[in-house]
Amino acid sequence: MSEYHGDELHIGIPGYLGVFAVLVVGTIATYYAATVDLDFIFPGANTLLALLIAFTKMSCVMLFFMHVRWSPRLIWLAAVGSFFWLAIMFAYTMQDYLTRAQGVFSGN
Amino acid sequence: MSAHASDKFVYHEPGLQHQFDDMGQQEESVGIGMWFFLAQEIMFFGGLFTAYLVYRSKFPMAFAAGSNHLDAFWGGFNTLVLIVSSLTMALTVFYAQKSNRTLQLVLIVLTMIFGATFLGVKAIEYTDKYNHGLIPVAGWNKRAAADPAAVHGEAKPCWEVAHGEEHKYVNPRGEFIWTDCSLVKQAQDHNYLTESERNGYFSSGQIDGNKFRDKVRIFFYLYFVMTGLHALHMVIGLFLMAWLLWTAWKGYYTAEYYMPVEMSGLYWHFVDIVWIFLFPLLYLLGRHFMH
Repeated sequence: MSEYHGDELHIGIPGYLGVFAVLVVGTIATYYAATVDLDFIFPGANTLLALLIAFTKMSCVMLFFMHVRWSPRLIWLAAVGSFFWLAIMFAYTMQDYLTRAQGVFSGN
Repeated sequence: MSAHASDKFVYHEPGLQHQFDDMGQQEESVGIGMWFFLAQEIMFFGGLFTAYLVYRSKFPMAFAAGSNHLDAFWGGFNTLVLIVSSLTMALTVFYAQKSNRTLQLVLIVLTMIFGATFLGVKAIEYTDKYNHGLIPVAGWNKRAAADPAAVHGEAKPCWEVAHGEEHKYVNPRGEFIWTDCSLVKQAQDHNYLTESERNGYFSSGQIDGNKFRDKVRIFFYLYFVMTGLHALHMVIGLFLMAWLLWTAWKGYYTAEYYMPVEMSGLYWHFVDIVWIFLFPLLYLLGRHFMH
């Protein structure tokens, strides 16, 4: 554990530029994906795709720019754990709102 | 040789705080502390994302309508600006690890320039909202007295307000203004209003422009609070960078000791990540309804 960073310099300049390129492509893809109507797949497909791209971009930033890739297990735990707590907040809030009264969110 | 004499020559790394055994332990402790702070920040923003989730699931059309009024060009531009600033920040850490003072300074300055650009664009956007009566607090928008000589034509129902039509801005009390409810009509015709929307946009079976306006207003509340909190983080980040610039100028950071650079980087990247989610969720969510 004492070899937290050691002497290696993570992914180096080409690696950082590669991650940067992925982020730029992701941003442009997000924009164009939002202009195409994907509701024919299922309602909300646009939002799901946007969030998938956002999660991919976030993973790149966390793993490589924030060096989680080379970090000790406890930092992995802090990073993943915070999203787990966030998921609990979303899930328990929505299970309340979605079941407040019958039919309120049925939508049809 | 006595024990004291040998203690005197124990190697002590210059950046090591006395409470840590070695640099590895110090770096790990600092890193974990910073990550716990970031976990707390995720929860901090998480409350707002939860509010967004609840109200968007209740009133998706009002959110789509509000979102379409945001400028996706500026939002996308700012996303790219932040990504470039994240790259320069990551490279700052890289050159700190290489003990290259000059490139550290150049890259910190670049990061600050991109951060300031982001805030400048934000100011342009907020001004635009002010000028169009989209700030969700009565009295905080631009005031414009009604022209008494104006000839009022037949008032059109709110779902027939044409897109992009030039309206004279009339807002004597600086209130939140919203006139277009064509998306409600569209959703009604295609039968995908939620139950909350069927109650929340209609009065006696008719689309009620005022009721719809109040739901769009919720979107703009969330827009301003979320982007405002994010902008506050950017301002704090700029102060952090200014401090980093000063200490890097004095040559504090080398391959042996660069943790403050790395930790400031974590904060900067975190703020970038928040924006990665704000951009599609606020600017792009209703884009596919525009034909």
